[in-house]
Amino acid sequence: MLAALAAAASLPVQAQPQRLLVITTSPDLKSLVEAVGGDRVEVESLGQPEQDPHSIEVKPAQLVRMKQAAMLVKVGLDHEPWLARLPAVSGPVVDASAAVPLLQTETPRLRTERKAHTHAYGNTHYWLDPKNAWPMSASILAALAGLSPADRATFEARRSAFLSRLEERLTAWSVALAPYRGARIVVVHDSWSYFAERFGFKIVAAAEPNPGVPPSPRELAALLDRLRGSNVRILIADPHSDPSLVRQIADKGGIKAVTLLPSGRDYVALFEENVQRLSQALKSEQ
Amino acid sequence: MTELLLWPFVAGLVLTGIHVYFGLHVLARKVVFVDLSLAQVAALGLAVAILAGHPVQSDAAYWYAFAFAIAGAVLVALVRPYEGALQQEAVIGIVYAVSAALGVLVLDRAPQGAEHIKQLLVGTILTVTPQEVAGLAALYAGIGAFHLLLRRPVMQASFRPQDMPHGLLLLWDALFYASFALVVTSSVRVAGVLLVFCYLIVPAALAGLMATGFVARLLLGWVLGAALTAAGLVASWIWDLPTGPAVVTAFGTAMALAALAFAARRLTLRRSALLASAAAALAGALLLAFPQMDQPWLDAIETAVPPLQTAFLTAGERATREETLVSITRAREELTRLRALEQDVRWSKVEMDSEKAERLRQYLAGKSELSAGDALVLRHLHGKARTRQRYVLGLPLLAIGVWGLWAQLRRRAS
Repeated sequence: MLAALAAAASLPVQAQPQRLLVITTSPDLKSLVEAVGGDRVEVESLGQPEQDPHSIEVKPAQLVRMKQAAMLVKVGLDHEPWLARLPAVSGPVVDASAAVPLLQTETPRLRTERKAHTHAYGNTHYWLDPKNAWPMSASILAALAGLSPADRATFEARRSAFLSRLEERLTAWSVALAPYRGARIVVVHDSWSYFAERFGFKIVAAAEPNPGVPPSPRELAALLDRLRGSNVRILIADPHSDPSLVRQIADKGGIKAVTLLPSGRDYVALFEENVQRLSQALKSEQ
Repeated sequence: MTELLLWPFVAGLVLTGIHVYFGLHVLARKVVFVDLSLAQVAALGLAVAILAGHPVQSDAAYWYAFAFAIAGAVLVALVRPYEGALQQEAVIGIVYAVSAALGVLVLDRAPQGAEHIKQLLVGTILTVTPQEVAGLAALYAGIGAFHLLLRRPVMQASFRPQDMPHGLLLLWDALFYASFALVVTSSVRVAGVLLVFCYLIVPAALAGLMATGFVARLLLGWVLGAALTAAGLVASWIWDLPTGPAVVTAFGTAMALAALAFAARRLTLRRSALLASAAAALAGALLLAFPQMDQPWLDAIETAVPPLQTAFLTAGERATREETLVSITRAREELTRLRALEQDVRWSKVEMDSEKAERLRQYLAGKSELSAGDALVLRHLHGKARTRQRYVLGLPLLAIGVWGLWAQLRRRAS
């Protein structure tokens, strides 16, 4: 810890060679790259937290920046289908999912039958488990150190400082959500599996069995029917969920809807906000 | 079923009421795409409202959308006197494309609204509330009364514009398109762009095929609109489909059936023989050339006549197929039962310790994989049968088709 602090403190004194330009596909990855790279990197995210990560329209200025970039960090799996159409980056491409233990990785053939998340290689929202910041930042660290071997120690120090801060906050979040461990929740879109797994919630159903396609009346009726006889009290919606669907499930199913953020500009603040929103909603429903 | 589908049905009736009326006008004015165009301008207004910081469901957003749609409507009305030099449809198309592009530009600055604008396309008629339906009904009753009171000039502007002085025509056109813009803006919020377009055009077009006179067409359009709404909703319930697209498809199916019926009326024996020969030749040639490609016509025949499914298999293959089918049926029954149990455990209707629940989940996954394997066996046998049908069915079919075509064409020549 002391060594890490010393390394971090010595940073500004070092001579400042040109900063590494890193492009990420999502703001969450940007936050992690900044956490590891500090002022040795300049990071730009192609997507914004408010955008649908599956369909991002890249602008000319971003294309220029991509050509100048030393490296690209992506969520991977099949989260960014639009990335394939962009010109290749000259430097390394880091797939942040590489070392992450994935959920829902059954073969697509099985999943079409079970109507779960339709991503082909597993649920892609893995950054929503704070513990996955460990493998993600490890991949980022390895790539950054490869580009700038002289800074390896600095990067390592920054990473461990960030992770120890995250560990501390994770303990606090777990404590805040501990009273509700084991609670059953319904989600609109199947993006909260990792989050639920970490904090001990059980997702019993997704209102949109196929993401982006509204449920059929029978699916909706079955869900409402299940809800009425159950102890499920919370529906997690995303900011872009269909408001009238959310309202109908909340009203007719007698549960409380809470909107959580699947993406944010600051990795730690994202969880602060989500944990606060969720614990408040759960508290009011007790 | 009724609990969930009652209000969507009532909403469908309200939409039918006003849109069939406007549809008849729009068809007479030959501006079919004005609805899509104005809906797109309204969506642009919504995007601007989001940029200005109003939530997408707020009243302010609605008024933004309405103001933009009115501006679009006035633009369309202004073009009509210059119809000779510049077609109204061209302007409608340009307004559509440009407002769609502007919408993208605006949303680039306010990305949080993009999803909601996309949702406008499909709409959410399944989750419509009684309050929304009542609001629409009141608004449309008002607009209907307005048009009824002023029916003479309104009808004249649509159906006999040549009898109207230019200045007056412009005024009535502007009023017509403005009230239309109000209807489109309000309907799209509830039912989505696609569904609103269908309510506007399909019943009016069908009524135009079957009846003459404005009132007869209006009444027939209302009946058709109500019946097709009911058909779409029931189909969505029975076949477990998203509601908005199911109703749109019901409208499309009705239109296709009407077109087929009209085509069939003009079909002579010779033409049918020619068509049948051409179809037989094409099907035979495709089966001969690509036996493994999907042959939906052959699938349909095999479904209708089950013995055909095994006619091209050896005795051993038939036994394998039989066993596989039994195994699939058994697995399906077991999977249905166990999935219901898994759901009950998930929803804590049935108590089960977590280790047992996990074992159940894994068993289900394994069993589905085995069942998928059985389905592959069936596919393989199906492929084998196709390879044999290639010559036994494909060749004669091609020969019959070519002979039929040749005979018909020779008769025509002689």
